Amino acid sequence: MSNPRATVRSKKERRYGIADRSLIFIVLFLIVFGLIMIYSASAYSAVRSGHNSNYYLMSQLRATLIGLGVMLFFSRLDYHILMKFAWTAYFASLILIALVLTPLGMTVNGARRWLNVGLSLQPAEVAKLGMIIFFAAYVCGNLRRVQHLKGIMKTIGFAAVPALMVYAITDNLSSAIIIFAIIYIMLFVASPNSAPYIIFAGALVGIASLVVYVVASNIVPAEVSYRLGRIEAWLNPEAYASGRGFQTLQALYSIGSGGVLGKGLGQSTQKLGFVPEAQNDMIFSIICEELGMFGALAVILLFVMLIYHLLIIATNAPDLFGSLLVTGVMTHFALQVLLNIAVVTNALPNTGITLPFISYGGSSSVFLLAEIGMALSVSRSLKVS
Amino acid sequence: MSKENRPKQFTSSMQKKLVVLFFVVLLAFAYLIIRIAGINRDKGEAYKKQVLAQQSYDSTTLPFKRGSIEDKNGTVLAYSEKVYNLIVDAKLMSVDDGAHIEPTLEVLQKAFAELDVAEVRSFVTSNPSSSYKKYLKLLESKRVENYNAMIDQIISENSIRRDELKKEGKTEEANAIADPARNGVWFEEEYRRTYPYNTLACDVIGFVQTGNEGQYGLEEYYNDTLNGTNGRSYGYLNADGTLTRTVKEAEDGYTLITSLDTNIQAIAEKHIREFAEDNRNAYRTGPAADNVGVIIMNPNNGEIYAMAGYPVFNLNNPQNMEGVDLVQYANLLSKDDLMDALGMSKPDSVSDDSLSENNLPILSVSADKAELLELVTNESLSNNGIIKNAVWKNFCISDTFEPGSTMKPFTVAGAIDDASITGNETYVCNGALDIGEHTIHCHNRFGDGPLTVKQGIAKSCNVVLMDVAFAMGKKEWLRYNRNFGFGSLTGIDLAGESSGAANAFTEKMGQTDLAVASFGQGFNVSMIQMAAGFSALINGGDYYAPHIVTRVVNNEGAIVKEYEPKVVKQIVSEEVSDTVREFCNSVVMSDPEECTGWTARPAGYMMGGKTGTAEKLPRSAKNYVISFMGYVPADDPQVLCYVVIDHPNHADQGNATRLATLLSRDIMTEVLPYLNIFPTQQLTEKEKEELTDAQATFYIGSNAVSQNAAMVNVSEDSVPENGTSKDEGADQGADGTGDAEYTPNVIQYDPGTGYPLDPNTGEILDPVTLQPIDENVRSDLEY
Repeated sequence: MSNPRATVRSKKERRYGIADRSLIFIVLFLIVFGLIMIYSASAYSAVRSGHNSNYYLMSQLRATLIGLGVMLFFSRLDYHILMKFAWTAYFASLILIALVLTPLGMTVNGARRWLNVGLSLQPAEVAKLGMIIFFAAYVCGNLRRVQHLKGIMKTIGFAAVPALMVYAITDNLSSAIIIFAIIYIMLFVASPNSAPYIIFAGALVGIASLVVYVVASNIVPAEVSYRLGRIEAWLNPEAYASGRGFQTLQALYSIGSGGVLGKGLGQSTQKLGFVPEAQNDMIFSIICEELGMFGALAVILLFVMLIYHLLIIATNAPDLFGSLLVTGVMTHFALQVLLNIAVVTNALPNTGITLPFISYGGSSSVFLLAEIGMALSVSRSLKVS
Repeated sequence: MSKENRPKQFTSSMQKKLVVLFFVVLLAFAYLIIRIAGINRDKGEAYKKQVLAQQSYDSTTLPFKRGSIEDKNGTVLAYSEKVYNLIVDAKLMSVDDGAHIEPTLEVLQKAFAELDVAEVRSFVTSNPSSSYKKYLKLLESKRVENYNAMIDQIISENSIRRDELKKEGKTEEANAIADPARNGVWFEEEYRRTYPYNTLACDVIGFVQTGNEGQYGLEEYYNDTLNGTNGRSYGYLNADGTLTRTVKEAEDGYTLITSLDTNIQAIAEKHIREFAEDNRNAYRTGPAADNVGVIIMNPNNGEIYAMAGYPVFNLNNPQNMEGVDLVQYANLLSKDDLMDALGMSKPDSVSDDSLSENNLPILSVSADKAELLELVTNESLSNNGIIKNAVWKNFCISDTFEPGSTMKPFTVAGAIDDASITGNETYVCNGALDIGEHTIHCHNRFGDGPLTVKQGIAKSCNVVLMDVAFAMGKKEWLRYNRNFGFGSLTGIDLAGESSGAANAFTEKMGQTDLAVASFGQGFNVSMIQMAAGFSALINGGDYYAPHIVTRVVNNEGAIVKEYEPKVVKQIVSEEVSDTVREFCNSVVMSDPEECTGWTARPAGYMMGGKTGTAEKLPRSAKNYVISFMGYVPADDPQVLCYVVIDHPNHADQGNATRLATLLSRDIMTEVLPYLNIFPTQQLTEKEKEELTDAQATFYIGSNAVSQNAAMVNVSEDSVPENGTSKDEGADQGADGTGDAEYTPNVIQYDPGTGYPLDPNTGEILDPVTLQPIDENVRSDLEY
């Protein structure tokens, strides 16, 4: 699939190889499908809030076009150059996150997570890209260090800073978790020994389970924090049908009412004011309602193919930096898709994670396309296998 | 993979880890897919319903209008009227921090005095997110319009006052004026079933209490035809993205046009009522009879003109049994039910003491029941479901009984038709006949000596009939009995018909059975079976399926379905029919000494018929069902009237047949001129006198009059003021009073000719054209 089969190539192509065309096709397919679904899911609420019915569609289309430009740029760029900007990427991310505290910061839907720089920009999305570049380069340069516990702890310390900043400054736990998880898995893959990582991850899962147990058995009242309340709503959404469980429950209604083949494209009734953020975090529930389990399976298969292509690129990259870079991208996509669908199906407590390329969100799209661009750049220098 | 020259390589262990991670991701996806499938499988149906239920705020049901029921002249007997339920939308009323609540409540209080405004206030303030709470039901449209007008007025007054205050610079005061929330209260449409004539034809029409679900009679039988399909109003976004409503109109139900005639029905019910009042407490304390049934029909096509029973109930409020005779049904109740009805506490169990003391627990229980039956009153039974069902059901089709002597013409017709007898035989009646061990008596225990078959019918002689039946044999008798439809449903289009099959004779019948069967004892029939069978007997032998609905029309009046009179079979030949009719004519038209039915004859008419006096079970109780089946004119029957009185309140029930013949006569005397069937015989002075008295109370078929008037284009002035036209009938209902009594119009008849008189001039009118009759012609009318 990624083999450059053509025997006659231009000079340039011989130098850089050919990008993974299947990956490009999958991404383009997801983007177009996402635009259709955004229009379907958002037309009603757009009009309800006094916009044109295609308000969200056009906004997403603009971001997508910018994103495609960025993707093209990164795919033509020799990814080794990025190594030189590793520290720049790290600190730029931190600074951008910190800038949210300045008057440049922007509040949307009661959450201060955006920067107003002509366009609205979510620094957490920049940070995800920045951290992938930084840690790929850092691990490359400190391969021996990350083999000892002390080195690992130090590296994790590096990773914890942006994650904590995202959590503390923008109050965005889900992005913090994703940033930390991407870095953690990159380290896990790069490190020769697995045991400490697995133990540490196991410990985290244990702590999380304990928190859930504590909430479930009402030892600590859920009113202490809204996150605990979300856990409560997650365990029993019906009991909080008009409050914290509303979004989750409405999403479940959408999924359940879709059936095998769904109600047909555009035929969702749940998007008519019932599922909040239907074009955003919860868009997967609208896909289930309109296209049914069949549609949901098709979307999941597309993402599996996307992740598989990234896996192939990562395992066949000519050098460690390229591999780690794509490992980071792959991890990012896998986590984001899994967590989004898990939240929509109430397998995990509700937290704001978008579905790559399909959910409405400009910053997210642009930076995800940048990551795909990097992966394409790596794919162009693949060894013939 | 080589490790040596390039230190910074993605090693195979790293690759393995990554592949393992990929498989972990695949597993996670697999779990999520299973989870999605699981949600669909376990909760799919529930969530689909939930999703639809949530939509109800945006889409509302538009109720269909249930079809009407009309009589043959277009008089509306049942219709659905649009009414409104008051719905409070607390959410919309509470906008602007509740500024609109008080002004809205003020208007509500003024418009709907019965509404508990304090309760609405507390509901709205404590449930500000509620969108739907029903407060008042079945409001008439006038009150809703009145409320809306009040709201409009107040809003416009407020806006004028605000403008004035603003001009004066009092902006704050102007802003303090709050309008009532127009959207905070809305009215949900609903249809209410209304029966403009309350009790008229209650057993035939049936009723609807809730949910367009007909109970009894036509309402139940034609429930699906009368019901339409609900419409819906949806909110949706159009191409421009504006919220639009689309309406799928409700499809109204179909209207039934029946063969019933409101005037004939009213005449029958009036006379039944008079009978019931005259005979109440006549012999024993209680109502005039357990049941009274009257069927008036056209014997030539099976169409029912009227079907009346007693007691009657108000279709607009069927649960209310006030003023309805119920005690005669008390016997239907078990002892426990009776005790419940009387408010007595049940003994926990039959105590051992009572068993040992009298040793006859069963007797004591039945004795108890008899005592209880003495105690029951109409009031104590008025809430009992079994009793209510007994009142609601239609005696004419749902109850079966032993017909008695009205069966005799059937036996004779069968015997002549299968050539077992010629009809000219003579039999000797000695007052009784010995069959095996039994001695079966005649009504006249002394015997009438030699009797022809015709005389046997006229005098209602059992011995003659037994001889005729023996000549036939049980096989032939059974064949004819079944052919006449006894023991099977007639298929009349009313709910709740009984076939009497459980109490019909079979091939196993013995000689004694045949003997009693010949004169209508030992097996059960329903009134409608008798009337339909007798029609065939006298109309030339054709059996028509009895029917009430003649046409089904849609809300635009187009015919959806038409029921043509249907000859099911020819049972006897025309000659046999003529013979039997001649026999039956002798029942009424012979010398009073020689016949049993002469009291049934309406003055001036030639009539035929047959009386019946059947002993009820147990025979020892000496209770009877008396009946009379009559038809007019005798030579060419146009109308058949069958009267049944079950257990008459009379000292000597066995000789009370007169009650039935007189009831029949009273009804026919009034119905016949209405049907434009006029007397052919000269009246005696006494008859003229009686007729004049009777005519003072006559109902007149106003429809016939007004229709005829329209036909000959008589000017407004000369039309008698007695039109209850279709429109007026409908208007009466539309007023929403729903209490309109059937108000008949009284017309005078000339006692000499029986022709109608012009109410203004007193001139004799032609019954068909309603034109004054020429003097020359008139003289011909005098007998």
